[in-house]
Order: sequence, then C-alpha cells, then structure tokens
Amino acid sequence: MYNDQELFSTLHMLRNENLDVRTVTLGVNLMDCVSHDLEVFKAKIRAKITGLAGNLVDTCNQVGEKYGIQVVNKRISVSPIGVVAAPFSPDQMVEVAKTLDEIAREVNVDFIGGFSALVEKGVANGDKSLILAIPRALAETSRLCGSVNVASTRAGINMDAVLMMAHAIKEAAALTAHADGLACAKLCVFCNIPQDVPFMAGAYLGVGEADAVISVGVSGPGVVKAAIDRAVKADPNMGLGQIAEVIKLTACKVTRVGELIGREVAKTLGLPFGVVDLSLAPTPTVGDSVGEIFESLGLVKMGLPGSTAALAMLNDAVKKGGAFASSHVGGLSGAFIPVSEDLNIAEAVAQGHLNIEKLEAMTAVCSVGLDMVAIPGDTSEETLAGLMADEMAIGMINSKTTATRLIPVPGKKAGDMAEFGGLLGHATIIDVKQAAGENRFVRHAGRIPAPIHSLKN
Amino acid sequence: MEKIIITVLGQDRPGIIAAVAQSLYERDCNIENVSQMVLQSEFVGLFVVTVPGDATLDNIRDALRQDLSAMELDVQAKELVAPKQTPSALQWEPFLITTMGPDAKGLVARITSVLARHGANVTNLKAVFQGGENPDRNIMVYEADVPAQGNREALYAGLREKAREMGLEIIIQHRDIFDAVNKI
Repeated sequence: MYNDQELFSTLHMLRNENLDVRTVTLGVNLMDCVSHDLEVFKAKIRAKITGLAGNLVDTCNQVGEKYGIQVVNKRISVSPIGVVAAPFSPDQMVEVAKTLDEIAREVNVDFIGGFSALVEKGVANGDKSLILAIPRALAETSRLCGSVNVASTRAGINMDAVLMMAHAIKEAAALTAHADGLACAKLCVFCNIPQDVPFMAGAYLGVGEADAVISVGVSGPGVVKAAIDRAVKADPNMGLGQIAEVIKLTACKVTRVGELIGREVAKTLGLPFGVVDLSLAPTPTVGDSVGEIFESLGLVKMGLPGSTAALAMLNDAVKKGGAFASSHVGGLSGAFIPVSEDLNIAEAVAQGHLNIEKLEAMTAVCSVGLDMVAIPGDTSEETLAGLMADEMAIGMINSKTTATRLIPVPGKKAGDMAEFGGLLGHATIIDVKQAAGENRFVRHAGRIPAPIHSLKN
Repeated sequence: MEKIIITVLGQDRPGIIAAVAQSLYERDCNIENVSQMVLQSEFVGLFVVTVPGDATLDNIRDALRQDLSAMELDVQAKELVAPKQTPSALQWEPFLITTMGPDAKGLVARITSVLARHGANVTNLKAVFQGGENPDRNIMVYEADVPAQGNREALYAGLREKAREMGLEIIIQHRDIFDAVNKI
C-alpha cells in the first residue's frame, strides 16, 4: 500500500489539477498509397488509415478508463501530403483534403494532421500544389490540420515559401471570415519541424518514421502550478534552483503517466510506441493554464519583465524531468504559449501586459512560437511574411523548433475580440506595427542562407 | 507442527514487540515474519514463527498470555497451513478503488460486497479522514486483485452504482498508474 502522500498527490493530480493525456496520435505512413490516379489514391489512403485506426478511439477510452485518466484527444498524423500526393493539382489536393476529413470522421478522431509540405530549401511541384490548396482545404474541412516547414538550421529560410504562406494565410482567413478566420487556426508554419510531434496543428509523420506508430502528448500545466504553489507555500523563501527542481520532478511524474498510457495503447493495437511529447499545453480552462504558472513563480502577470527568464527556466525544467522519465522523448517537449487557448495569456494580452514583441522574445526560450495569435484583419501579406520570417530566424539560429499560427481576423482590428470556439478559445486581437510603404526586404524573396553553425560535418 | 501464526492485540505502549520477542526466544521459537500496525490507539501484531519440534501450539500461546498478562494484551495463535491453491500472479490485475464522501455505516460492507461478487480479492484497505471540520471528507482506499478475465465493465458499473447510492465519489484505477507516478 502507498503512503497517504503518494495516494493523495496522485489522486489530486488527476482530479483537481487537470492532469490528462492530451493526445494519443497514431502516425500512418502513406508512402505505399502513392498513385497518379486520384481515385485510386483516395481509396488506398482510406483503406490504410481506417484499417489501422478503426479501434484507436475505443482503445484509448478503454485504457483511459483502466487507469482513471482521460485521453482527451485521439488524432492521426500522416505522411506529408505534399510528398505522397505530389502528382496532383491544387484542386485535386482539395479533394485529398476532403477525403482525409471524411476519414477522420469515420474513425471518430478529433483531428488528422499531415496536410503538409517540407519546403525549407525549395518548393517541389507537389508542395506548390499543396500550398495553393491550403486555403480551400482548411476552409472546407473541419478536422484537417496543415503545416508547412519553410526553414531549418541546415537549410536557412526559404523566403519564397514564406511569402507563399503569407498569401495562403490571408486567403484562408478570407474564406472563413464568418468564423474569424478559423481556417488559420489549423495551420502552422514551421522552422525545424519535428517528425514525430503528436500535437496539432503541427502533427505529421516524418519520412524516417515507421509504417505506423503511436505517440503521446501529455500536458499538465495545472499540475506544475499546483506543485509550485505547494512548495512556495511551505517555504516562501525557496530559491529558484529549488523551484526548478520541483518543476522537474513534477514533469517527470507527468511523463511517466504518458508513457504508461502510450505503451499500453500501442501494445493493444499491436503497433510500435514512438515518443512521449511532454508539453505544457494549456486549454481555455481555469487551472489548466501556462500563464498561471508565471504568477505562481511570482510575476504579477505574464508579459511583464522577467517573463522570458521565467519561461526559460520552466521550459528547461520540463525538458529535464521529461527526459529522465522516458527513454523516447520527442516532438516539441516544452511549454506552449498559445494565446487564445490559455485563459491567462489571453487575459494578459487583453490587459496590455503582453504584446507581440514580448511574445516573440519569449518564443526564443520555449518550445513553439507565435501560437494562436489573432492579429488585425488588415495586416498585409508583407507584414505577415515579416512576422513569420522573424520567428523562423529565431528557430534557425538557435537550432530549435519555432512556429507561427497567426490568424488575421477579417474585418477586425487590434483590441477587438476573436472567437474560435472549443479548445481553440478566444482572444483579444493583438496590435501589429505596420508602417506605410512596401516591405521590400521580404519581397526580395530567395533564401536566407543557413547559419555558419549548420556546417557541422 | 512447523509454523504458527500469533496475533497480539491491545492498547499500544512501548515494549510490546520486545516482550513478545523475548517470550518467543525463551521458548526457542524463531520469528520469520512480522507485520504490525497501530490503528488509532490499538496495537495489532502478526508474527509468523517456527517452533521447536517438541512444542505445542497451546504451550506457546499459554506462555505468551502469561508473559504478556501485565500488558493486558489479547493473544491468539493458530497453525499456519499452506494455501490450498496458489493463484498465478498472471491471473490477477491489481486495482486501487478510492471512495470519497460522507462516512456511513455499512460503507465498507457494501463496496466490498460488490468486489466479492466479482471475485476480486481485497489485499489492503485503508481509511483516511481528511476532513477537519468537514464530515464528508472521508476517504477509503481499497487495494484489490481483480480477475484478469472477469467482466471489468460489470464490476465498474456495480461499484459506481453502489457509490452513487451512498453519495460517494469513486475512482477506479489500475495500480500501475500509482507505480508510474510514485516509483522511479
């Protein structure tokens, strides 16, 4: 029998601190479905995905019930469609997108990711079709997510692709103007995209991965906040080194839970287990917020001076705890700061404590980027491209993943409210500096060369 | 007779284990295994003991009662027999069932009756009152081995129905999740 502390800390994590398995993601390789015939391709991907994912949701629910922990989302990631559907035109790519959306409904998963292209060094025909198809593909589906990797430390930043994405984002927003540009909430632009990330909207199955694999995304910002609160209450003068230790130990426990669930789901489905992605991923729920952790660490509000240092410590401690707990940690593994998906962060923006420049600075030390940031609808393509290029530069130079999920909300301006619904939440539209005149820097296009430290061989 | 099991029950105080051990030592007995706990103010000890060939169960028990009489301890003893059938560990899955809510007569009886009906074996039971001024913060934790091949859904439904009748919150979890979180 466990002692009282062991029993109650475990029960509290699950009942009061919102510990859950945020996602179990089944990766499906579609390389063997390739065909030049659209109907054949659609039939093959349907057969392969439904064959592998038919029992995914039921299995996750059964394993969740066995351990008394909820698997909140069940998702699928597929090989980059820009590669496996390369022969097709943009219109045909939209057909592929709709087929993937139908498959997601059929097997009852929340999202299917992988409407993706890897174009950091150049745009191939399939990638071009995919990027041109993105606005309609995401506007005319509900469960499909897309991502495009436009930069890497090894290749530099493909500014042609950045500009194409700026255009695609504006168009996707316009096509879903009635829903505040919702299509853009399902689209990430990446630098150094991981091949095994289970979280959306960036999940896809890399070309170096197995034929099918189960990966797990564990969250738990509420658990980390509660652990910090308890520790600081017991010792108000606790040093930051000790607080980091508390975060690390908590992250370790949370990761162990994810590993347990992931391995059991994989074993039940007869599939290999991939990685645990231990990320502090918030939801728009009180007590499930990364922003609240900043306040537990002693900051008046996230975004005020000290926030970047606090986030650096948090992100690093989470990684250390996770790395110790699992033999295969992957994906993003760190802290997410998605504005609309986190009540506290959204509030910090609304109150003016957090602006886009501070957000950008903070992304230099955490695991993602400008995530779920609603910006004015009249933000120009050049400005959008500039925002993305800046974020990509942070990732490229620091050899880390960065991403943007920017939503130019049609017809709305800074200070207005954008509503995306459900887990995507709502947020005050953040001000973006726009000078009059053309941004000729981004229009130069071409490729920003890879940094010197990419030359490792 | 090779082994006997002795139970010692009485108000807790310093020296109980020492007195029991001394008495057994003087009769050439060897203590193989001991488990003891204190519930509120009462001590209970279980001693598995190998005894010399010429000793009888009654000799040992009576000697202990005499030696411990000043401490007002109740002593019982019985022969230890091997279990008739040792179930394979693979046939069982360990679960922790936690109930939270108001204390009531018959609470343990009603929950354990559901477990018994489904062939689950309670291996540990713990009551913790966390309430302070709040009588509803009564927590019971049942550790039980559940038959691996049994109807898990029916067991869950039975436990949840019983908990609902008594106004209790119930959480049913495989023990591995506690191991994952607490044992590194």
